[in-house]
Amino acid sequence: MEDKEHKPYRPRAAGIKARKKKAKIETDDKEELTPKQRNPKAFAIQSIRKTEKTVRRTLDLNVKKQHIPLVDRTPIEPPPIVVAIVGPPKVGKTTLLKCLVKNYTRQNLSNVNGPITVVAGKKRRITFIECNNDINCMIDVGKIADLVLLMVDASFGFEMEQFEFLNICQVHGFPRIMGVLTHLDTFQENKQMRKTKKRLKNRFWTEIYQGAKLFYLSGMVYGEYQRMEIHNLCRFISVMKFRPLHWRTTHPYILADRMEDITGGELIRQNGKCDRKVCLYGYVRGTHMKNKQSIHIPGCGDFDINDIQATPDPCPTPDKIKKRSLNEKERMVYAPMAGVGGIVYDKDAVYIDVGGSHSYNLTEDSKPTNELVSNLMDMMNPVDEKMTTSKMSVFSGTQPMTADDTEDISYPLEERVEGSDGRIRRRAVFKDGDELNDDSGHEDGEDDDDDDDDDDEDEDEEDDSEDDVPPVKKSKVSKSNKEEEFAFADSDDDLEDELILKAMKLKKQNDDDDDDDDDDDDDDEMNEEDNGDDIEEEEIGQGLRWKSDLVEKAAASFKARQKGKINYRKLIYGEELGVADEEDKDGDELGGLFKVLKQKSDQTKNDRFSINKTDCSKYFPENPQDWSLEEVTASIKDCFITGQWSKDKDAKARLDLDDELYGDFEDLETGEKFTGPDGEKDDDDDGEKDDDGEDDEMKKDDKGEEDKPETERKKTKAEMTANERRTIRKERQKEAFDEQYDLKDDSAYYDSWKSDLDKQAKLNKAEFESMPDELRIQYEGYRPGLYVRIELHDIPCEFVTNFDPTYPVIIGGLQNVEGNVGFVQARFKKHRWYKKILKTRNPVIISLGWRRFQSMPLYSVQDHNFRQRLLKYTPEHLHCHAAFYGPITPQGTGLLAVESVAGREPGFRIAATGVVLELDKSLQIVKKLKLTGFPVKIYKKTAFIKGMFSSALEVAKFEGASLRTVSGLRGQIKKALRTPEGAFRATFEDKILRSDIVFVRTWCPVEVPEFYNPVTTLLLPRDQKKSWVGMRTLAQLRREKGIRLEQKADSIYKPVIRKNKIYKPLVIPRGLKKQLPFKAVPESLLRKKESSMKRVAVIKDKKEKKITNMMSMMQTLYSHKQQQKKIALKQAGEKRKKEIKKDEKKRNQRQKELKKEIFKQIGRSEKKKD
Amino acid sequence: MSTNSLNYEGCNFLRQRLILATLSGRTVKIKKIRSKEDDPGLKDFEASFIRLLDTLTNGSKIVVSETGTNLLYQPGILIGGNFEHECNPQRSIGYFLEAIIALAPFTKKPIKAILRGVTNDQIDPTVDLIRLTTLPTLKKFLGTDEGVDIKINKRGAAPDGGGEVLFTCPCRQKLRPIQFIDPGKIKRIRGIAWAARVSPAVTNRMVDSARSILNKFLTDIYIYTDHVKGSQSGKSPGFGLTLVAETTNGAFLGAERSSSARGSGDQPSVPEDLGKETAKNLLEEIYRGGCVDSTNQSTTALFMALGQQDVSKILIGELTPYTIQFLRHVQDFFQLMFKVDPVPVTEEEEELNTGGEKLLLTCVGVGYSNVSKAIL
Repeated sequence: MEDKEHKPYRPRAAGIKARKKKAKIETDDKEELTPKQRNPKAFAIQSIRKTEKTVRRTLDLNVKKQHIPLVDRTPIEPPPIVVAIVGPPKVGKTTLLKCLVKNYTRQNLSNVNGPITVVAGKKRRITFIECNNDINCMIDVGKIADLVLLMVDASFGFEMEQFEFLNICQVHGFPRIMGVLTHLDTFQENKQMRKTKKRLKNRFWTEIYQGAKLFYLSGMVYGEYQRMEIHNLCRFISVMKFRPLHWRTTHPYILADRMEDITGGELIRQNGKCDRKVCLYGYVRGTHMKNKQSIHIPGCGDFDINDIQATPDPCPTPDKIKKRSLNEKERMVYAPMAGVGGIVYDKDAVYIDVGGSHSYNLTEDSKPTNELVSNLMDMMNPVDEKMTTSKMSVFSGTQPMTADDTEDISYPLEERVEGSDGRIRRRAVFKDGDELNDDSGHEDGEDDDDDDDDDDEDEDEEDDSEDDVPPVKKSKVSKSNKEEEFAFADSDDDLEDELILKAMKLKKQNDDDDDDDDDDDDDDEMNEEDNGDDIEEEEIGQGLRWKSDLVEKAAASFKARQKGKINYRKLIYGEELGVADEEDKDGDELGGLFKVLKQKSDQTKNDRFSINKTDCSKYFPENPQDWSLEEVTASIKDCFITGQWSKDKDAKARLDLDDELYGDFEDLETGEKFTGPDGEKDDDDDGEKDDDGEDDEMKKDDKGEEDKPETERKKTKAEMTANERRTIRKERQKEAFDEQYDLKDDSAYYDSWKSDLDKQAKLNKAEFESMPDELRIQYEGYRPGLYVRIELHDIPCEFVTNFDPTYPVIIGGLQNVEGNVGFVQARFKKHRWYKKILKTRNPVIISLGWRRFQSMPLYSVQDHNFRQRLLKYTPEHLHCHAAFYGPITPQGTGLLAVESVAGREPGFRIAATGVVLELDKSLQIVKKLKLTGFPVKIYKKTAFIKGMFSSALEVAKFEGASLRTVSGLRGQIKKALRTPEGAFRATFEDKILRSDIVFVRTWCPVEVPEFYNPVTTLLLPRDQKKSWVGMRTLAQLRREKGIRLEQKADSIYKPVIRKNKIYKPLVIPRGLKKQLPFKAVPESLLRKKESSMKRVAVIKDKKEKKITNMMSMMQTLYSHKQQQKKIALKQAGEKRKKEIKKDEKKRNQRQKELKKEIFKQIGRSEKKKD
Repeated sequence: MSTNSLNYEGCNFLRQRLILATLSGRTVKIKKIRSKEDDPGLKDFEASFIRLLDTLTNGSKIVVSETGTNLLYQPGILIGGNFEHECNPQRSIGYFLEAIIALAPFTKKPIKAILRGVTNDQIDPTVDLIRLTTLPTLKKFLGTDEGVDIKINKRGAAPDGGGEVLFTCPCRQKLRPIQFIDPGKIKRIRGIAWAARVSPAVTNRMVDSARSILNKFLTDIYIYTDHVKGSQSGKSPGFGLTLVAETTNGAFLGAERSSSARGSGDQPSVPEDLGKETAKNLLEEIYRGGCVDSTNQSTTALFMALGQQDVSKILIGELTPYTIQFLRHVQDFFQLMFKVDPVPVTEEEEELNTGGEKLLLTCVGVGYSNVSKAIL
């Protein structure tokens, strides 16, 4: 096909079609009206209720969307995000990590140890860490992870660890969590797998949120997960967005990815257990890290940063952003503990890692370089330290000089007030070279000696490796040369800044040195004593040196201002270096000893004056200006509104501008009129001014009208009808109302708040952006994203000897007050899954802020009168307060309690969660205490009570307190009695019994035990890391030692023996009994007595016997006869019945035949009739 | 726990050190307090100040050596609340009040303090000046006007005092950062001319003489006269004048003078001279310029430093030695450096006569939050 120009489409411009189209467009325009506009009736308010509901609902929804705006503090180049891979053992964590790293970098990891940083994209870097199954580790990882890959063995289901970890995360600010299901290939049936997936997903969603992302890794291919699945996972990771978490945005922290022990070899040789100097490396995260800041290393303890430097980023994001994807070179991986990645950067040196996975390819070619590097690595001290101690001679035949010497020449003021060990350094005296000669000489000598000592071993090494290490040497030479150049240069302004930078570097070195010459200090102290107080006064160091000539400085600054710029940085922070001092020094040399001494004495006087001067914030200028002079008064003329304004703010200029915009206006107060460029309208307005005596509002109407176009404006007020005027006024009022109340955007306040914070965020970013890095760090601190090297001193040796890279080393920065310990009060709740309840004063391990520590909390609950009442145990399903002795941590920080971190006890381990409410140095928690007493003597309502108190004084303290008896009578303590001691008079609401016990309810303060014991898991040997046991409870101790609890004899339960009660018989007097109603008479009384007369046997004589016998015989005969008769009668009756039956039968027969005959006859006769 | 303490020498800047120690929670050791003087050790007013800190805090540990030349201060937690304090008459209430103001936003309970002592003297900023210049600055950081107040119940001139001041201030969890780089132009001058136990005419004489100088610059001047008598007038006679210039953007620059105390050995003050002196002092202050005056520089710097991790900026005049030392102390306690730059003058502004060189004070707050205030 050929490329041919096609004729473009031209729509018809005339004719029927065009007309039709035109008409259609016109109608379309009309139809653009919204339905509401087209058919307003349909949208009219039908029901007020309904409308109210809908309005409310929309407002609710809008407000729900709003979050409290925060200042966006993310730096331009953020630190790598921390992705933690968490899960129980044998779930595939390491495999996943290897696969992820391989996906990003195309490199195979041999072993996974410590954090692994990779470049994931053009703007994103990721640090992976694997979290082992130790709860300590889980807690630490939960505090720093930005994203958690929670791995679940699908064939097994969820395990306790996962829920524990989720709870840990919840407490320490919820990072993003993605679930990863593995071991899906173990399912035989597809249906089974689907069901399991669904079940696990639902559980996961209820734990995190509905719709949380869950990944399925379906199976393994050659020991790795499937590539596409991993790729998808990586894509999710790289687009993930993160919420700022409060704790992390207010605290700097570093996840150390490299550790070095820089303690002198000699020291270790002498004492293997000496405290170590340790260098830790990592990216600053969270917020700005400051030098000398106090930090906490979870599992190790609190330290102060001795020194911190920014080092080049070992894993930088690529510079150019124009490409779509990264090339092979930019896919960096940095994992010093895992032993991958080529180059390691130090402050001044570059190390090439030869250990780990790369150690095997020791080919012929690479041998020399490796040697060099291994040489470097073998050195005990890092190169920078070595440089400061090594010597070189600038000119042949001169004394060799060290880095210290160069300082002494060019920057004598550099010494610090405080030594590394907190001692005041006296070397500040050398500042002007006005130190007593012998003193300084002595000191110099010391220095030299010291250096020699230090260098002895180094020198040997250097001699050997001199040829091998030319670059290092060279750099040093050039450096020192440069310094000297500066030292002798004039104080040109352009040089100044560089000088400052140099000075700062040197200062750091100097700090390092401080440690070396501790011996000097001792000597110094000796000298101080010798020289007496005057010198002592003089030798206080720089801090006081500043003050020594404040007035002069202020005056000087004033003068300097006239001449040109002065460097306020130097003026304030005392790094005043360079030439001025240099010149002085030269002068001194010329002047000789006398001059020096004189100056010195002056200075001491000054010092004494200044350090004990009146402390006053009011400033009285030294030489006030003469305000009677004309030119002096003229100098502030424009500070007043009456003076001249700058052009953009000048009222007159702005007025002119306004006139151009708005034309004429009328001054309402004076009635004066100002006309703009179009002055023709004067007359109209004049006329109208007289006409209305109406209020100002109407006049304003006029003014407002003037903004309207000319044509409308023609109609003046006089011409308007009253109606028109009214409508205008109404509109105006409505506007005013709307402005105040509705129609304003609902979110106006919110928006303005947000825009304010945005503005602040922009300012924060822009303020120091253009500054050189060194200077910026001074003002801001080390911003997040920088890779830094932190030097820590006095680290326990176990940290180094028992170092295990699988345990994360976190350097958590502490804010100012957080280094202190006090009483912390927290809202506290036993976890609903934890089996036991917690007992007051039992030690628990609390994770709060960066720290993990053991403490003994008291549980309490707040009564309605704000009384904190002690509880013996935590309530089962309620919040309570917990008060413990621990680190001061800002309110609102979450905390977590576990009873033990050792071993693996069955069940859920998180014992309780909570949040810090209040911090103090003392607490008021009370427990109930009932004092009991017994009545001695009882009158009507008064009783004397004893046994409650032991002295009259105690009673006096409780006078008026309310009493109660066990039976419930209330009373009051009145007054102490003389005898017995401690007895008192009390009144009650009724007469009490002798047997009643009287008690008074009091509240007794309880003390929170001052027990704070940081959990030091990092210091334990590897095999004991999981078995940290702090303080044990009494019960645990008993159980372990097999000590039984001793019980009081009377506390033991015994069988209850009760006697049977014997009652006396009831006796009712006869008189009473008579009167008793029948019902009330006891049954026993009602029962009739048996009659005393008994039946008498009748003994008959012979005749009587005969008669009786006769009579009985006759009676028998008679009865027999009667019986016979009865039978005969019965028989006769039956016979008769039979006869009657026979007769009847016969008769019936006869009648039948007769009837037959008759019917025959009838039939015949009828036949005849027919 | 961090055990390292900061060591200083001499009694100068004692307040700064103790305030900063309280706020940063760091221990401070001060040695050689007037060790070379005839009357060594802490003076009564310093002891009174330490007692004040003790009432303001809970759990502080204060150890003063037997001679009073050494002091160890281990700060506790700021409590605040209602309290009364007898301020030693060697220094005026301003000496104590400045410290209270610096601590007030960070207490557990809002402060309501009754301070008794010398309300006006020549050394320290008087309560009038604090009320008129420091409080507006404080309000900017608190973000509210509510509850920030100084009420002068009784006036008491040096040397015997007898004055009483009620100071109230709410407490905050956080301070807000400020950007205040344009003070605007001075629109009015206000002032208070006070007199106690002297003729009421004195106040008018001061006002007239001050006006005679200031009227050349501005007409909107109003100086209140406050002649107190009876129980409200304290124990010593005295008079004084406080002048405050207010700018269009809400900056307050103040100056003041008080009469020399009875028995101090100075020449007795003449009201006319005093008025003129004060006016000249105010002009000097205006010459230095900025958004806060020389007395309040350090307080402002403190609140800027204790803000959130945001950039705060303020325009000030020439730094006073007290402020310079304060900035150094802030570095010691909070590892925070201020950026101090002279303001570049544009061509346009070159022609204007706005007094001396102005400095731009910039810092990133340390992210300080009030740990004593309870949350519910």
